[in-house]
Parts: sequence; structure tokens; C-alpha cells
Amino acid sequence: MSTLFISGFASISSAGMRAGALAERVSSGQAHPGVPVGSLYEAELPAADGHALTDFDVKTHLGRKGTSFYDRATALAVVACGEALANAHIEIDEETRPRIGIALGTTLGSFKSTSDFSMETLVQPKPYLVNPVLFPNTVMNCAAGQAAIRYGLRGANATITGGPMAFLNALRYAGNAINRGYADTMLVGAVEEFTPHRAWMTALSGKVPHPAGEAVAVFAVSTVRMAPVAEVLAIANGYGPGGQGSEALAGCVQRVLRKAHASAGDIRLHAITREAESGALAGTKIFRAAQHFGDCGAATGAIALASVLELHEAEPARDGELTLLTASTDDGAVGAAIIRGWSRGGADRG
Amino acid sequence: MTRVAVTGLGPVSSIGTGAEAFAAALLAGASGISQIQSFDSSGFPHRNGGEVRDFDPARWLRRLDPQRWGRSSQFAAAAARLAADDAGLDLDSLDRGRAHAVLGTTSGESVVAEALTAQILASGFPGMVPELIEQLPAGRLAHAVSEELGLHGESLTLATACSASNYAIGYAYDLLVTGEADVVFAGGADSVCRWAHAGFFKLGALTETACAPFDRDRSGILTGEGGAVLVMETFEHAQRRNARIYAEVLGYGINCDAKHPVAPDRESISQCMRIAHRSADIKPEEVDYICAHGTGTPANDLTEARAVIEVFGDNPPPMSSIKSMIGHTMGAASGFGAIASAIAIDRGFLPPTINWQNADPELSGVDPIPNVARRATVRVVQNNGFAFGGNNAIVMLGAVR
Repeated sequence: MSTLFISGFASISSAGMRAGALAERVSSGQAHPGVPVGSLYEAELPAADGHALTDFDVKTHLGRKGTSFYDRATALAVVACGEALANAHIEIDEETRPRIGIALGTTLGSFKSTSDFSMETLVQPKPYLVNPVLFPNTVMNCAAGQAAIRYGLRGANATITGGPMAFLNALRYAGNAINRGYADTMLVGAVEEFTPHRAWMTALSGKVPHPAGEAVAVFAVSTVRMAPVAEVLAIANGYGPGGQGSEALAGCVQRVLRKAHASAGDIRLHAITREAESGALAGTKIFRAAQHFGDCGAATGAIALASVLELHEAEPARDGELTLLTASTDDGAVGAAIIRGWSRGGADRG
Repeated sequence: MTRVAVTGLGPVSSIGTGAEAFAAALLAGASGISQIQSFDSSGFPHRNGGEVRDFDPARWLRRLDPQRWGRSSQFAAAAARLAADDAGLDLDSLDRGRAHAVLGTTSGESVVAEALTAQILASGFPGMVPELIEQLPAGRLAHAVSEELGLHGESLTLATACSASNYAIGYAYDLLVTGEADVVFAGGADSVCRWAHAGFFKLGALTETACAPFDRDRSGILTGEGGAVLVMETFEHAQRRNARIYAEVLGYGINCDAKHPVAPDRESISQCMRIAHRSADIKPEEVDYICAHGTGTPANDLTEARAVIEVFGDNPPPMSSIKSMIGHTMGAASGFGAIASAIAIDRGFLPPTINWQNADPELSGVDPIPNVARRATVRVVQNNGFAFGGNNAIVMLGAVR
């Protein structure tokens, strides 16, 4: 497998969408309580505060045309894909179009879109009195498909599920697509929206220590080493059936260390999606993205990596440091990746 | 170059569960269509669908507790168990870290989603039951397979809508040829649900009684459901254990229309066929049979037929749609197509397009294998899968040479 480089990225979260916003929030070192979210929806929410970007409006970024039926997850993903393309200086023309793809992580698309559509079949005088224009939003690949339409990207286009594992699943899928020659560049990311549905599900599950958050982060990945901000040294995903998630994760961590020719002591930061992963690399500083951005579900790993890369950008002294990303689900899906990060231009200063 | 064998088939469908029953139904041109019972369909003008009426997960599952998993996960796990048994795989002898589960889906746990929605309607958001919330994530379809079979490899659910099984088979193929895997359980699952029935009806894409792909008077799909899983393994692994090989996966192609969320695009589909042929290193004239996406909507079948003629010329290979028999099983559809393709190669017959009555002058040149299965030597099959979002995926299968 050839080395994968990240040549640019973009994110949107409760911290905003300006480059550097993530690093600023993370650098405080304090958990963030969220912001008042009551104005976002008419429905009652489980808490007054949450982690949403309350003033996000897709029309500000993309205009009215083609965006009026986007749901929130789609809007976040399409805007972030555009920003990532720009950040990585990717030219889209007739030659490159079929060679640029998308691998976007999700939990189940927009559950709000699906549930609202399903709700219409229950409350309308006739169960078929639904709005057909909103039907594609109930399908999980809506966001990746709309991003492809918006930017004319005709390469491998995949929507990858996995909840907290979604980003590592997407990164793994995209790495394979590039290495097998199906695409030259992949936009790899994950998205999760803030809705009453997610806020309540997160609160009711009783398993998540943080309130629901929303986020998207998208990375431009290819094998070309052009002013990269990061290098994906290794990735390994697996499953621990019968409650063997921790053992399976330990196995994945050993595999990525081996593949990256690194030892545990070389890892400077360990970014986790769930507390259960905190013991996977003893003695390493832990980074919990959910403390700063809420429980961002599928986007947790993506926003963690974006935060780490912004920290690299802010502190060139970190150039070349290694970060371990881990992820896991309640069921037993696990994954690990090792990323080497640089400030912009740092990779070429030697 | 590592070669990839299909050694086990696990269909859980409205026309039969298990390879033997499914093959017999394809040969007979059976119909699995009936009036929908899983939700109250009485308020719909069109009430037919392809439900798996007799599905009893406890009959097939040995490790998974059906109570804890949604219907689509149950379909996936049951299909995988059937496929493992059909392949004669001794799971205890597997290197479990090199055994993966890759599933595709359109709507994931749609029945769970609708149950939660009913709870929201009845008692507001706080009324959602945590046990159901737990069952909702789409990633659980693959996890159900990993749990049921005790697999330690990747457990991945791809949500590229109605071509998702072909995406899964494609990724499984890559895991095998790149040396990451000995065995992959690949396919897809979906469940009949009210919202999809309503959505397709309102789009004008749901037919009333019978799905008639490539017929002049075709008027749409019928929603269907089920689980379709194939055991894929390296030739080396299969030969070491003297496994029966149904077919070889020769390669695949994926691309994206990037034009319209629901309308298929001829040029893009043609291009996807060319990508698949290149991946499989075959020429169009080597293809003996096309297992069509063939939804039975006027637009899909016309676009698909024109793309085929563009790539294959005026006399394309026979092309049938098993959706005429089982309806549109969404994310499982191209998985059932791949199983039908493997059976076509192994048993030497082409499954028919049933409910076919009149030739469509717009589709001249298309041989839909009307109504009756046909004996044939089948060496190379092209299995088409297209989807909302413009996610095209085509898998090429071949007889072992």
C-alpha cells in the first residue's frame, strides 16, 4: 500500500468553520459546555445547551440554487467538501473529474429526514401524501451524492457507515480506492447533524457522557506528496465479537504500530472516540474531541483529526509528530490509524 | 495475481431461502410478490411488495439473539450463516482476523426507524425506547454477520443505496486480491418499509400489481426485501479446502453520475460498464449474460438498455431482471443479482424476466429472456447495480477457467 498524504482539509463544528477555530477551542484544555440551541428547532430539546453551529446557513455559502432541499447533514457535508477542495488547491476539470471521488462517513444519514418523511405517512390523510422531492434525503448516500453533483466529481463515490467508526472506515475505504487505482484523489470525511432526533437519542441512550454535537470534517487524500499537512502511515480496522472489542482494538493498535515502524513511545497524542479506548496505548496523552465539540457520532474521528492538524498548523514545533487515532462502537467494531502531521510547508522544511 | 472465488451463496428472499430453493425458483420463474402485511398498506392505492413472509431468524441464527437486532441485521446474519453452510466452511479452522464482513444497504434498519418514529408521534421524543435506539445504526448490518460467525476482520456496512451490494462485493474483492483477507462475507440487506413504499409511489415509480421490466407497458418497481450474502475467498484458500467454486469474481467498476439525485445517466452507466470490463480484463463480446438492474421503471430500463447498446452494439447479450420475481430489494438487489449470476454460471441457465408481455420498440435489440428460463453455457456475467445519488457499481463474474 503506497503512502497516503493529506493535502488539505476543512471542518464545520460548533466552534465555527474558520480555519484555526478547532485549535483555539481545543487549546483551552477545558471541556466546552455548548451554546444555547433552543432557537434551532421548535421541538423541545433535552437540554438548553448543545454543540451546534446555530448560525450555519447553507445559502450563505452555496446560494439558493440547488440547495433548498438539502437537509442539515447534506448542507454541512457539501459545504465542507467545497472548502476542502479549495484548501487543497484541487483543480477540477474534464480530465480530473472522473478521478476524484468521495468517501463520506455517517451513522445512518439524516435520521431527521428519514423520520420526518416516515412521519408524514402516519399523519397525512393518506399515507402516500409525502413530498417526493424529499425522498432522496431519506437515503443515506444523499450527502455524498449531492457533493458529487455540486462539484462534478465522477470518481468512486461511497457512503460509509459506522457511527464512531465511520471516519476510520471511510479513510480505509478511500485508501483502498486510491491504491487500487479507482481514483487519484479522494475527499474523505464524516458528517453528523444536530437535530432534536439526535439530541434526544444521545440523551436517552444513557451511554454517551456528552450531549449531542454536530460536525463535519473533510480531508483531501492522495498519494501525491504536494505540500502535505499530514501523512497516513497506517490504518487497521477490525471487530471483536462476543464483547471482545478491547482485545480487538489492542490488536489493531499493534498492527498500525508495526506497519508504521513506530513504537508506542513515538506516539505523542492518542485521539479517542469512546472512553473504552483510553487504555489502548498506556502512558500517552489522550485527546477527547467530544469534550470540546459534543458527541459528534460519525464525525467524532474526523473532527479529532482536523483538530490535531490545526494544532500542527498553529505550532510548527510539532512538525512530524505522530498521532494515534482510535475508534470503536458499542457492538465491537474497532479501528486505529497513525497520522504524521505538519504545519503548512513543514513537511518540506525537512 | 490473486484470484477470487465465490464458494457459498446465502439468499434469504421472497422466492426462497438457501441456494437450492433460490436456484429452483429462478429456474421456474417464480414470483415472490404478495400484498404487503408488515405495515398497514390499506391506505395505499398500490399494495404489493416482495416480503419474505416466512422469515424466522431463530431457524438460521446460532449465535445472534434476534431480540437485540433489527430485521435488516437479521436478514444479513441469516444470509451469511446460510452462505457459510453452503460453502462448507469450517469456521473454527479460519484465521478469523483474515475473515471480514462487508454489507451494503439502502435504508439500514428501516423498520426500527419507523418504530421509533411511531413512538415520537405517540409520546414525543422522550418516548423513544433506548433498546430500539441501540438497533438503529446502519453499521450493525455487518456487525450482525461478524457476531453470528465470530469474524475478527473488518465489519463494514456501505450505504450507497441500491447498488450497495455491488460496492460491498467490490470492496471484498479488493480485500482478497490485496492480501488482506482469506474469506469475505459480502452482500446486502434491506427491509420493506412504509416510507419507501410511499416515496416510490409519490415519485410515480411504484407499479400496481406486477413488476414487468423491459415490457412496453412497464410502470415501475415493487419494493422488496431480504438478505443476500456470498462467500468470497481466494482461490488458494478455496482449493486448499477442496471447496466447490460457483464462479470467479473477475473485477468490478464504480463511478458516479454527479448529475441528478434520482435520474439515471446513460453516458455515466456506459462508462461504468467500460470500467468494469477493463477491471475484469474482458471484451464486451465475451459477456454471455447481463443480470440487469432492470427496476421496471420506464426511465431506468430505457437508460440501461441504451447504455448496454452503446457499449455492446446492436446485438447485446441476453439481459434479464430478477426484480420481476422478487421486487426491488434495494441494498440487497445487486447481491441477489450476484447470487443469480453465480447460479447462472454454475447451473447453466439464464433466469427469466417474468411478467413480460409486449416488446418495447424503444428497446429494440434487447433480449429480456421473457418469462421462461433458458439453458445456456454462461462464461461471463455482468451484474448491474445503479442507485440514487448516481452511485453506479457493476460486478463481473466468470466461470472458472
